[in-house]
Amino acid sequence: MSKSIRATAALAAVLASAPILSSATSPAMAWEPTKPVEIVVAAGAGGASDQMARMMQAAIQKNNLMKAPVVVSLKGGASGAEALIYMKSSDGDANKVLIAYSLIYMLPLSAKIPFNWRDLTPVSVVAMDQFVLWDNASGAKTVKEFIAAAKAASSPFKMGGTGSKREDHVLTVFMEKQTGAKFSYLPYKSGGEAATQLVGNHTEANVNNPSENLEVWRAGQVRALCVFDKERISYKTKVTETQSWNDIPTCKEEGLDVQYLMLRAMFLPGKVTPEQQAFYVDLFEKVTKTAEYKDYMEKQALKPIFLKGPEMLKFLEEDDALNKSLMTEAGFVAK
Amino acid sequence: MSNTDLEIIVEDPTAPEDDSPSVVSTHTIEIIVSLVLLALAIALGFDNWRTGIAWDSTGPQPGYFPFYLSVILGGASLYGLITTLFARSGGADTFVTRAQLRRVALVFVPTALFCLATQFLGIYVASFVLIAGFMRMVGKIALWKSLLTAFVFTAIMFVTFDVAFDVIMPKGPIESALGR
Amino acid sequence: MEAFGLLMHGFAVLMTWKIISLMVVGLVLGIFVGVLPGLGGPNGVAILLPLTFTMDPTSAIVMLSCIYWGALFGGAITSILFNIPGEAWSVATTFDGYPMAQQGKAAEALTAAFTSSFIGSLVAVLLITFLAPMISSFALKFGPPEFFAVYLLTFCSFVGLGREAKHKTVISMALGLLIAGIGMDTVSGTLRMTFGSTDLLRGINFLVAVIGLFGISEILLTMEERLALRGHAAKISLRTVLKVWMDLPKYWATLLRSSVIGCWLGITPGGAIAASFMGYNLAKRFSKDPESFGKGRIEGVFAPETAAHASGTAALLPMLALGIPGSGTAAILLGGLMVWGLNPGPLLFVEHKDFVWGLIASMYLGNVVGLVIVLTTVPIFASILRVPFAAVAPMIVVSCAIGAYAIQNAMFDIWLMLGFGVVGYVFKKIGIPLAPFTLALVLGSRAEDAFRLAMIGSGGSVGVFWSNGLVGTITTLAITLLFWPVIDKAFSGVGRMLRPMAQTP
Repeated sequence: MSKSIRATAALAAVLASAPILSSATSPAMAWEPTKPVEIVVAAGAGGASDQMARMMQAAIQKNNLMKAPVVVSLKGGASGAEALIYMKSSDGDANKVLIAYSLIYMLPLSAKIPFNWRDLTPVSVVAMDQFVLWDNASGAKTVKEFIAAAKAASSPFKMGGTGSKREDHVLTVFMEKQTGAKFSYLPYKSGGEAATQLVGNHTEANVNNPSENLEVWRAGQVRALCVFDKERISYKTKVTETQSWNDIPTCKEEGLDVQYLMLRAMFLPGKVTPEQQAFYVDLFEKVTKTAEYKDYMEKQALKPIFLKGPEMLKFLEEDDALNKSLMTEAGFVAK
Repeated sequence: MSNTDLEIIVEDPTAPEDDSPSVVSTHTIEIIVSLVLLALAIALGFDNWRTGIAWDSTGPQPGYFPFYLSVILGGASLYGLITTLFARSGGADTFVTRAQLRRVALVFVPTALFCLATQFLGIYVASFVLIAGFMRMVGKIALWKSLLTAFVFTAIMFVTFDVAFDVIMPKGPIESALGR
Repeated sequence: MEAFGLLMHGFAVLMTWKIISLMVVGLVLGIFVGVLPGLGGPNGVAILLPLTFTMDPTSAIVMLSCIYWGALFGGAITSILFNIPGEAWSVATTFDGYPMAQQGKAAEALTAAFTSSFIGSLVAVLLITFLAPMISSFALKFGPPEFFAVYLLTFCSFVGLGREAKHKTVISMALGLLIAGIGMDTVSGTLRMTFGSTDLLRGINFLVAVIGLFGISEILLTMEERLALRGHAAKISLRTVLKVWMDLPKYWATLLRSSVIGCWLGITPGGAIAASFMGYNLAKRFSKDPESFGKGRIEGVFAPETAAHASGTAALLPMLALGIPGSGTAAILLGGLMVWGLNPGPLLFVEHKDFVWGLIASMYLGNVVGLVIVLTTVPIFASILRVPFAAVAPMIVVSCAIGAYAIQNAMFDIWLMLGFGVVGYVFKKIGIPLAPFTLALVLGSRAEDAFRLAMIGSGGSVGVFWSNGLVGTITTLAITLLFWPVIDKAFSGVGRMLRPMAQTP
C-alpha cells in the first residue's frame, strides 16, 4: 500500500538526516534548552489547544521538568495557519514546539496553505479529543428524536461549529449523509462561541469537544446526545447532577454511525537534532505522568494516549489518509 | 500640594523656519492619494472578483463584501479626485515646507533604518544605536548622556521583557554570542 | 439586597495587606503601560499576565484588573499632554483634551479625564454588581443578526454624525473594512487579498495598525512643529481638582448619557473605542454650542472618557457571565481566568463566589485607589515632558516597535507599523479622519461574519434583521442615524435651510 511506503519513506528521511545534523552541532551529551521554550498554539485564547498548552506549562513548571521557562505563544491567525507557517519557517529552532490537532491535515487541503506536517519533526501524540453531538436542553431528548425533528423542520436545522471546512464541518456533512436530514452549518470563530449560541437557541445543535461545552452542560443548558466514538468515554465521575461522561451513549448505539477522534500532538520544527527531539519526547512523556495532566484529561474528557517514534509516524500517516478521504468525500478539498 | 504651575520649557534649536518654501501643495498630495487609493481599490477589487462575488444559497461568497467595499472605496476616491481637480481654492495650501520635510526625514529615516537594523541585529542593539545616535546627532545632546540614556533604556527593556517576563524579542548575533 | 451582602463578603476577602499592596503595584504598572504609547491596555496586560501565574486566582485577578484600571487611567495622560492616545479608545479624548493642554489648562483636562474615568467605571461596576446574576439570559438573546445590527449602528452613527467631508469618512471606513478582511475568511475558510504572501495570511492586526497610525505618525507630525511650544503645565493642585469637581453637576446630562452608552456598548461587544466616539459625537450633537468642540471644551473630555471607561468596565460583565470578552483586554483577562482553572460562564457565580465577588469588590477599591494615585502622581508621569524630545522620540519609536512585535512575534509587523505611520501622517494632513478607519479595522471582520452567519441562518433573507423587536429596533435606529443629516435638515425647517454653509464639511 502507498500509505506504508510513505510512512517508511518519512521515517527513512528522519533517520538519514539525523547523523549529518548532529555532527554539525557541538557534541553535547544530553541537550537541554537554555532559552525560553515556546509552546505554539494554533488557535485563539481560551480554546482547547490553549487550555492544554497552559496545563503543560503549569505541569512543567510545577514539577521542575525543565530548567528553561515555558511561554505560550498564541498564533491563531487565519484559523491556525499562522502557527503552521511559523513552525515551517523556524527550521532548526528547537525552542518552539507546536501543539497540533487535525488542522495539520485539513488546512493544506481546504485553503491551499503551503504546509506539510512531514516538514516538521514529530515528538509525540499526547491525547485524543472526542466530539459530542449537543442540543439545547429544551430540544430533542435523543438522537432519533433530534434527527426526526431535523427532517420535519421547514428550514434546515442550524448546526454551530468552529471554522469552516474543518472537523466540525466534516462531521456535519457526514451526519447529513447518514441521516438524509439537512443542516445549515454556521462556522463560529471558537468553540466557546458555538456553545453560547446554542444556549441562546440561535443554533439547534453543535458538535463541540467536551471541554468546549463543559460549563454549559454542567449548568444544565445543553444536552449531550451522543459521542462520535466506537466506545463510550471512560470517566464515570458525575459531571452534571445526573450524568457522567460515561453516561453519554455512542452515536452508533443511537443508530448514527459516524465516528471521529482528533489527535493532540506535539511537533518540533524541521531540521532539529535527534538529541533535541529525544529531549522533548522524554519531556512530554514525563508530562503525561504528572497529576496535572491526569486531572486535565479527566476534567476535559480527553482520551489519554502516548505515541512516539515509528509508532507515531505510522499513526500520523494513517490519520492523514483518513482525514484526506473524509475531506475529499465532503467536497472540501480546494481545486 | 502646592498651587504653582509647572512650566515645562523645552528648547528647540533646530525648529523649522516659518518662512521655508513649500515643497509640495496639499492639492497635489490629495490627487496622489486619490490615485493610490483608486489603484488599491482596483487591485483589491480584482482579487476579490476572482475569489467570487456572487450571492449563493448560503449568503454572499467570500469576495462579495470586499468587492463592493473596493467599489465604494474606488468611487469615493474618484469623487475626491474630481472635486480636487476642479477646486480652485485648494491649490495654494502647503502640504509640507522644505524645513519641515527635513525635520520629518530626520525622524523617519532613522526609524526606517532602525526597523532594518532590528531585522539583522535584534531589537536591543538596534534600540541602543537608535537612541544614542538620535540624541547625539539630532538633539545635539552630550555624547556621554546619549550613550548612558540609550544604555539604561535598552537595559530596562531587556530586563523587563527578556529576563523578567520571557517575552521573546528579535535578537541578533550579539545576543546569541552572549548566550541569550 | 442579596448582591449587597455578597459584595460585603467580597470586601472582606480583599482586606489583607498582601492584596492591597498588589493592588497598588498593579495600578502603578498599569498607569505606566497606559502612558507608554504603543504599549497600552491589552498589550500591557498581556505582557504582565505571566507575572501572575504563580499567584492564587483571587490575588492574580485583582492585580490584573488593577493593571487594567491603571492602563485606563494612564491612557488619558499621554492623550492630553502629548496628543498621543495610549489607547485607541483615548483617541476621542485628544480632540478636546490636547487643545486644553495647549491653552495651559492641562491640569483641568487631566482632572476631568480621571474623574470621568472614575465616574464611568463606577457606574459600570454598579451595573455589574446588580446585573451580573441576571445578565446571562439577556446576552444570550444575541445571535448573529443582533451582533450585526449593533455593528451597523456603530458604523452608521459615524457616517451620519461625523463632521468631516462625507467622502473622506467613507474612504477611511471602506479602507479599514477592506484591510480587516485580509487573510482567512472564517465563514468559508478561504484566503483572500493575501496575494500569495505568508505574512498577510494572519491578517493585519488591529493593534499594529493603531501603533503605527497614532504612535509613529504622531512623532512625524510633532517634528514638524516648533517643539519649544510644547511646554504644558501638568501639576494638579487640590484647588484645580475641587474646581473641576464643583463644576461636575453642570455636566450631569453628558456624564449620564456617556455612562449609559458606555455600559451598553461594553456589554454588547461594541467596545470601548466605539463608545468613546459615540459619547463624544452625541455630546457634540446635543450641545447648544457644537462649534466649540475640538477647541478645548471640558465637556469634550468628560464625554469620551466616561463612555470609554464605563464600556471598558462593563466589558468584563459578558466575560464573567458568558465567557464572551467585550474588549481586547477582557479577552486577555479571560485567558488568565483559564490559566487558573476557572471556566468563565454562568456557573462561575455559583462555584467561585469568593473569586467573583472579590473581583467585583476590587473594581470599587481599585478605582478609588487609582484615582488617588493618578491625581497625586501626574507630575511624575508627566515629567516625561521635560525630557528633550530628541530623547523621547527614539524611545517612543522603540516602545512602539516592541509593542508591535510582541503582539504576534512577527518582524513583518514592525514594517507594517512603519507603513501605517506614513499613512497616518499623510491622512491626518489631508483631512481623512483616522477614527472610522480604526473602528472599521477592529469591527470589520466580526461585522461581516455576523452578517453572513445571519444569512446562512435565514437562508439568504435580509428580513432577519427585523425578525424580532430587539434586532429590529437596533437596525432601524442604525439606518435613522445614517441618514441623520437629511432627517435633521427636513425637521429643522426653513431657518436652517437658509444657512447651509454654516455646516462646513
